[in-house]
Amino acid sequence: MGERKVTVAAEVGLHARPAATFVQRAKQASMDIAVAKLNGGDPVNGKSILAIMALDVRQGETVVISAEGDGSEEVLDELAAIAAAP
Amino acid sequence: MTTVLAPVGGEAVGLAAVPDPVFSAGMVGLGTAIDPLRGPGAAVAPIAGKIVKMHPHAYVVVGDDGKGVLVHLGIDTVQLRGEGFRALAAEGDRVRAGQPVVAWDPAVIEAGGRSPVCPVVALDAVSGSLTGLAVGDVRVGDALFRWE
Repeated sequence: MGERKVTVAAEVGLHARPAATFVQRAKQASMDIAVAKLNGGDPVNGKSILAIMALDVRQGETVVISAEGDGSEEVLDELAAIAAAP
Repeated sequence: MTTVLAPVGGEAVGLAAVPDPVFSAGMVGLGTAIDPLRGPGAAVAPIAGKIVKMHPHAYVVVGDDGKGVLVHLGIDTVQLRGEGFRALAAEGDRVRAGQPVVAWDPAVIEAGGRSPVCPVVALDAVSGSLTGLAVGDVRVGDALFRWE
């Protein structure tokens, strides 16, 4: 299981454009994508815009993005870049 | 099947008419948008369920079947940091369809240089699952679309 820890930099947090961009990329991946807050909480489905909005990640909070399988490292790198983008 | 109600009265214009590509390109999801009547009023819950996200300018209601609907009051209104919006319900509250959730005035949003158009998005809806999309004049609480 690969994972990336990323601090969300966008002022709006992982909402609106960052959330939509993240989920759009996650949905293209063949494997499951899980997203959790670093400090507790169950992981949610990274391919669900509802789940990501409800996770309510604010600017400055850190998330852990996980995936496994062929190509998961590349997907994780791309998702981490989206989540970290200001 | 869920019937999604118009959270505000106005003219149903479709997501393509929203001046924000995140919505107009369908990145957030399928749905429509309403160009709201100007003047003070209250945006209502589009479905019955629980308010899982309550921002001053946007809210998400999730029904008992797990379907979530996002209502976004105006474009770029996150920048207002709540000014011009008054919550009438709280995150975690259960609401009935049509229950007032946020008091606001689209005319004030427009006067501030932002579009008051309201995207209404069926979150995670798959292609073809929305039918009966209203076009043109809708009153608050009218059926806006059906979600299979």
